[in-house]
Amino acid sequence: MKKKNRNSMEKNMEKQYLVLVLPGLIIFTIGLIIPLLLAFRYSFTSWDGLSAEKPFAGLQNYINLFRDSDFRNAWWFTFKFTIGNTIIQNVLALVFAVALDSGIKAQKLYRTALFVPCLISAVIVGFVWLKLFSNVLPAINDLLGTNINFLLFGESKTVLSGLLIANNWQWIGYWMLIYLAGLQSIPAELYEAAKVDGANAWTRFFNVTIPMLAPAITICVVGITTGSLKVYDLLVSSTGGGPGRSSVSVIYQTYATAISGRQYGYGSAMSVSLVVVLLLVALIQVKGLKSREVQQ
Amino acid sequence: MKKKVISMILGTAMIAGVLAGCGGTQEAAPAAGGEEAAPAESGEEASAAEAGEEAAAQTEGPVTLTVLAGQSTTDAGIEDMIDEALAEQYPDITLEWECVGWDGEFHPKMQQYLQSGLPDIIIGKAQDVATYQAQGALAPIDTAYLDRGLDAARENVTFDGSTYGLVYNAQYQGVYYNRAMFEENGWEVPKTQEELQAIIDDCKAKGIIPFASHMVDTWSIGNVTMQFMMNDVFNKTPDWGDKFRAGEVSFSEDKAAQTAYQYNKLIYDNTYPETFSTEQTDCDARMVLGEAAMKVSGDWSIQNFLDIDENFDFGIFPFPNQTGDSKLIFEPNIAIMTSATTEHQDAVNCVLDVLSGNKDLAVEICNYTKTATMLKDVSPTWVNPCQSDVDKYAADGMVVDVTLGNNQLVWGGFQEENAMDIAAWLQGDESFEDALAASDGRVDASSAN
Repeated sequence: MKKKNRNSMEKNMEKQYLVLVLPGLIIFTIGLIIPLLLAFRYSFTSWDGLSAEKPFAGLQNYINLFRDSDFRNAWWFTFKFTIGNTIIQNVLALVFAVALDSGIKAQKLYRTALFVPCLISAVIVGFVWLKLFSNVLPAINDLLGTNINFLLFGESKTVLSGLLIANNWQWIGYWMLIYLAGLQSIPAELYEAAKVDGANAWTRFFNVTIPMLAPAITICVVGITTGSLKVYDLLVSSTGGGPGRSSVSVIYQTYATAISGRQYGYGSAMSVSLVVVLLLVALIQVKGLKSREVQQ
Repeated sequence: MKKKVISMILGTAMIAGVLAGCGGTQEAAPAAGGEEAAPAESGEEASAAEAGEEAAAQTEGPVTLTVLAGQSTTDAGIEDMIDEALAEQYPDITLEWECVGWDGEFHPKMQQYLQSGLPDIIIGKAQDVATYQAQGALAPIDTAYLDRGLDAARENVTFDGSTYGLVYNAQYQGVYYNRAMFEENGWEVPKTQEELQAIIDDCKAKGIIPFASHMVDTWSIGNVTMQFMMNDVFNKTPDWGDKFRAGEVSFSEDKAAQTAYQYNKLIYDNTYPETFSTEQTDCDARMVLGEAAMKVSGDWSIQNFLDIDENFDFGIFPFPNQTGDSKLIFEPNIAIMTSATTEHQDAVNCVLDVLSGNKDLAVEICNYTKTATMLKDVSPTWVNPCQSDVDKYAADGMVVDVTLGNNQLVWGGFQEENAMDIAAWLQGDESFEDALAASDGRVDASSAN
């Protein structure tokens, strides 16, 4: 009798969970799963995105991806942008978090100042840095009589640096807060015990702080990597993919091909390839980093 | 009985009022246009007025029409002028505008609407007509409205005998030059590359930058390249684009096409060193301030020039080609298209009636956008410093419609992608041969169909 009651209670609980999950699941399915499946389907066609017919093209689009030098260049730029962001943002966010956690004065002011840029849309950030690099900083150059090259968006050799500056300026504060929260949750006893054992500041940082921050590192690394792989809006308002093709990202190339270039089928194949890479990268990172996490 | 009589009189008065309202304002509009009011109503105008009346009579109650407007920066704001004019002539019709940038957003929006249902009215550029009529998305425009426009307006928007776009205004493209600077230095308008080179050399000797340019905007590279292509390629081989698709010509083998690409290098070598960081407004301002002598551009620069200095005196000439017979580029700009599946064709016709028949509105829009009209008997009142040059080239038959090139080699997916490769070549990231080969590789994306 008791077992029967427990079973019916479990069933009721399951129903409740289902009801709670359902709205999110429906939105997720309509907004993500169905478009993903449609993109996968279109990637096997030579559809132009306009006409009613969607001629089947088999694997041709995927074969063309390997021959397309523009697509390869887009991946190369995206890869460099992602690596740069992942290293710089993680290191600087952690450095700032440690600095703010050390009890310096005006901590709230610094925290706010570093966090505010991430509240701004990436499109606005692109415009702001375009103006800064093209007008404001050269004007300061003239004023001071210096000759520093601030025209970073104007040359293919420097455009990546300019974009990394803009992107890191926007996001460091956000990831810093995550590290800060992680730092503040590390028990003080661990540091005290390490001190008693004779550990200096560096040893405490590498043997206590970093291992205890592993969950935050996982979140930050995966977040920054996947976010950088998807860069688009920053580029639209700052470089427009240029000069030339020097800052065309995978999503930028996909959009240009599928929408402006009226090659929806081919563009879909590009987007499918990006999804696969995103999933793989996230999976490898989560697996790799999770194994290093320390349970408190 | 009395009630019946009164209601009949009221009903008749209402119907007459609606008819008089739609048709009456149609005739009244030119009267408010001052000098344009004088000509007697021609046969074409009368038939259009009748068409407008007929359409209005069939429009029952308030109607809201959806409009997708792909605008250039110079066009933003004309929607308010159209709304105002429409409210006066057809108060029952309201337009629900969706204004987007033509360069980046218009085609994605059209792609979306082709799947989900088109807006009643689409405003784009003349070159878009070829793309979307091929999809069966557009309805032919009634000749009653087309007849109010210049014949030249129909040429490149007519397919299989039907015209799918009402071309509203036009702009000219070529080399804008600082007239005072040319006079001071004794420079004549160049007709050949040698004459142009002599001016460039003299500019350099005198510390003047020969060309103003803003290559940070890749579209500007695409635009000037088509200007070069028109005079060196399409003027000699009008069906070059078709031959390109047929495999008879290619960028890698055609010397004329290569020359057109090479002119970009001529500009790049003789412009601001920071052209890839210079925005259009700064670029135009520097030209107005006398830093540069010339700029290969279009009418969109005029708005900037005159905003910066309303007394800036400039002229225009076609960029010299290899044979010294360059023509000024003419581009039909705003083109009004209508959906083939609209449920409110009568109301749409009323809007076409306003756009093609309201001369005050046409003058206001042309004055605002600093463009030329494509409607008959309309004379914009803004003072165009280079109008005398335009008139001279027009009188000599030295004007060519760039839609010829744009229809054969489309902007989206082809010209704009080629422009990126040209920029990469100028930056030293690609060889010239690679840029040409990349254009050849895009042959499948070169046509709208």
